[in-house]
Amino acid sequence: MCTNRHYNSVMAALTFGCFITTAFKDRSIPVDIHVSKVMIKNVDDFTGPRERSDLGFVTFDISANLQPIFDWNVKELFLYLTAEYSTKSNALNQVVLWDKIVLRGDNTKLNLRDVKSKYFFFDDGNGLRSNKNITLTLSWNVVPNAGILPLVMGSGHKSLAFPESYETAKSY
Amino acid sequence: MLSAFKSIPTYMDYKGQKLAEQIFQGIILVSAVIGFIYGLFIQQFGWTVYIMLAGFTVSCFLTLPPWPMYRKNPLKWQPAVPEASGENRDKPQENQKKKKHK
Repeated sequence: MCTNRHYNSVMAALTFGCFITTAFKDRSIPVDIHVSKVMIKNVDDFTGPRERSDLGFVTFDISANLQPIFDWNVKELFLYLTAEYSTKSNALNQVVLWDKIVLRGDNTKLNLRDVKSKYFFFDDGNGLRSNKNITLTLSWNVVPNAGILPLVMGSGHKSLAFPESYETAKSY
Repeated sequence: MLSAFKSIPTYMDYKGQKLAEQIFQGIILVSAVIGFIYGLFIQQFGWTVYIMLAGFTVSCFLTLPPWPMYRKNPLKWQPAVPEASGENRDKPQENQKKKKHK
């Protein structure tokens, strides 16, 4: 039926219109990250080589207002907290500690307190002990109705240092 | 009652078909413009889709059934030629070839 063809092409044009009205939008917002407690252990990492590896534990707070990111072309955001640091054996390490999906319509005011990391913070070796500079950043993947899925890093980060010895918690 | 049912017309004439097509396309385009502007205003693309679906439903109702307005230009057929008995009447050639597939 040529009626369906006409409807389909108009619908496609509208979807393109939805895309083009948001294609060049800056999707970055300021994020506030605070760390309350860190601790490390030295354990057997069953996924890696035989030597014991450092396992970090971080308790943190995140607050951010995600409202400006959402528009008529955003279906959901995939948030993830990354820890970035360098060690003697590896110049750059990036570990995802925690993630969250925020759907359109959900509460966009993020105000999380005393969150424990969701995923194991293993180092490839023993580079966490006494490491003075671990940087935590919050990033997100924007899932649109139509268009590109950009990875955006929030502005605002938190640097933390791990304690000198194992099994000793350090509070901030 | 069945004869009344059978006498419901189920056709449009050519000009009626053209009119139906124009009405359908026009309603869809108007719905698209309204839907786009409203969706952009409230920042929800879902509403653009809803308005388009509403426009589709309305235009289907207006253009799919053969309403009387689509039968306003009937074809002008030639008047029937009275049938002369036995003259120039061609019996249809019956095709004797029958292909048998085994």
